[in-house]
Amino acid sequence: MRWPWLQALHQPEIISSWSLAQWEEAVRQTRRLRLLARLAESIADAGLLGALPEQAARLLQAERLTSAYRQRVVHWAATCIARTLGDLGAPLVLLKGSAYQAQRLPISAGRLPSDLDILVPRPALAKALADLKGEGWEEPELDQHDRRYYHEWSHEVPPMRHGSHPIELDLHHNILPPLGPVAIDMQTLLADCVPSNWAGWSVLSPCDQVLHSAAHLFFDSEPLERVRDLVDLDGLLRHHACVNEGFWPDLLLRAEQLRLIEPLLLACHFCSSWLDTPVPSSMHSRIRSAGLAHGLVRLLFSALLAPADLDRPRPIAQRVAAKLILWRYHLRRMPLRLLVPHLWHKWRAGHGGDVR
Amino acid sequence: MSAPAPTRRIGDCRPDELLERLSHGRLWLDYGATSVRLKSDSRALCQHLSKVYAQFPLVEEAPWADHHVSITCVGGWRRLFRPQADFSCDFQHPFAPFAADTALPLFEWGSNWLIGQRLAHLLLLHAGVLERDGLALVLPAIPGSGKSTLTAALSLRGWRLLSDEFGAFCPDRMRFVAMLKPVALKNQSINVIRSFAPEAPLGPAFPKTRKGTVAHLAADRDAVDRRLDWVRPGDVVIPRWVADASLKLEPLAPHVLFGALAFNAFNYQDSGSRGFDAVSHLTTVCSGWQLTYSRLDDAISALDRLWHGVRDQHEAPSGLRRESV
Repeated sequence: MRWPWLQALHQPEIISSWSLAQWEEAVRQTRRLRLLARLAESIADAGLLGALPEQAARLLQAERLTSAYRQRVVHWAATCIARTLGDLGAPLVLLKGSAYQAQRLPISAGRLPSDLDILVPRPALAKALADLKGEGWEEPELDQHDRRYYHEWSHEVPPMRHGSHPIELDLHHNILPPLGPVAIDMQTLLADCVPSNWAGWSVLSPCDQVLHSAAHLFFDSEPLERVRDLVDLDGLLRHHACVNEGFWPDLLLRAEQLRLIEPLLLACHFCSSWLDTPVPSSMHSRIRSAGLAHGLVRLLFSALLAPADLDRPRPIAQRVAAKLILWRYHLRRMPLRLLVPHLWHKWRAGHGGDVR
Repeated sequence: MSAPAPTRRIGDCRPDELLERLSHGRLWLDYGATSVRLKSDSRALCQHLSKVYAQFPLVEEAPWADHHVSITCVGGWRRLFRPQADFSCDFQHPFAPFAADTALPLFEWGSNWLIGQRLAHLLLLHAGVLERDGLALVLPAIPGSGKSTLTAALSLRGWRLLSDEFGAFCPDRMRFVAMLKPVALKNQSINVIRSFAPEAPLGPAFPKTRKGTVAHLAADRDAVDRRLDWVRPGDVVIPRWVADASLKLEPLAPHVLFGALAFNAFNYQDSGSRGFDAVSHLTTVCSGWQLTYSRLDDAISALDRLWHGVRDQHEAPSGLRRESV
């Protein structure tokens, strides 16, 4: 494995041989990639917190406390929102990190959430939005173009904020943009939702959680160094395969049905080669026979996802891959007749104001 | 236990040597509660650091830093007519660049931001903290109350400075530790301190920052050399500067004290019950006072007088314990 700190997530015993310089590197990399508290929880589970040098121990303790605080914030916001949307007459679904938290998955220990992602069915969206606004959630100030972009082409409404909840709320009606490379029929996913441990909230089925996470990473515009998403995927795959024997065949079937094979193969490839995630041999042979275009995309993501060395300029390969993936994203997300005016607007907005 | 007195200090370093070290990311600043490694190609920053961090040790190679900061002059055509400096930490750029000649305020602001984000193991009070007779005087205050001015003035009259912005309290040890950065004086406070102590080691004044004009008071040698010492809490005094007011020092009820410490802290909520226990401890062992003043000299004499009593009060129980052993 290329990074000892990534290996230590599953084999925390290797930390006992780390020098102070290796600890410094591990803390810097995992902190910026939002994996420091995750690493700390793995070490705590193995009963090895006492083996840390004092300098690292302080920062791991700090990040564990911060992670616990952010998770409390998420849970409290979700509790309040379940009350606000209690008479919506439609299912309320937690997505991503909050869903892992509400299912008490092992992977949620040490996650550091910055927002709360929830989903309601499209027909209930307008009422949900109005109810949330009535309860003090506010949409950001947007120009007409951005407003139209969100309401016509996006799978979520603009991120909302609330005076007494220090967290951003992303309200979705679909897990992927309706105009993207793959349109998802949410009815299929909503029909398979399962209850969670949080009152009023359900979560996607295990297979759909994996596919959502994979699509979210590999269809995204800026997957730069998103090792954290791979760690989530690794945790989901390990956990669900462990509790359900038929998980892998179900997952493959669902991926075919939703046309999300490509992100699933990419997820399996990177999880198994970077995190030793157990992946069935049938998946490996599908990855091998996936063709040239898939191989090229894999190469780009390999350059893009790999965390750059600190104290050096970013590698050129990573910067080039970032540009190519961004173009792939735009071309697949919108037809050119929408994309060109959209990028023109973004470019003008970006250059009209002050720096950055 | 104090850190050993350093052989060389940043103020002793020749400007070209300091710039050379900075450009290779070989400048380490240990504030006590946390530490920074700094890399920069900014001459302005180099010059200003050698003034406001003059007494800090110049170390060849530190084995560890909590934060790794770069302040980089922004390249390209903009450099010609509007030079700027950019703050980054491990590839993260949390702020828009500042004008290049205000690299020091950018560094101070940015490092404060990192401290506020990353040190949840400490309770970070929004308070000036100074030590005398082994006991910490805590000055929590809302912005504009004259906290920094009073902290700076006390540090120039024999009180040892621990921190001006972040009162760093360890909930495991129930002790304060220094977060020793230069005291950032704003607007009128700069001239108040200049006339209060003309010899005060003040850095350059930076006009037109987002807090108005800012100038930094360097920490003195003793404060730097003892920045790793843990300090027991003494008393808490909430200062309030009021023009032409006569001096008043009034006791505060513990619940008022609790609110002043907890709800003014940077990260009280982050650490859950640890934060609550730490503030409860402080309100138990410390008396709280409201200090209203208009003249710095009056305020300092009042605190000097107060401290005789504080010292006796805090020493009595431990003295009794010693006798009974």
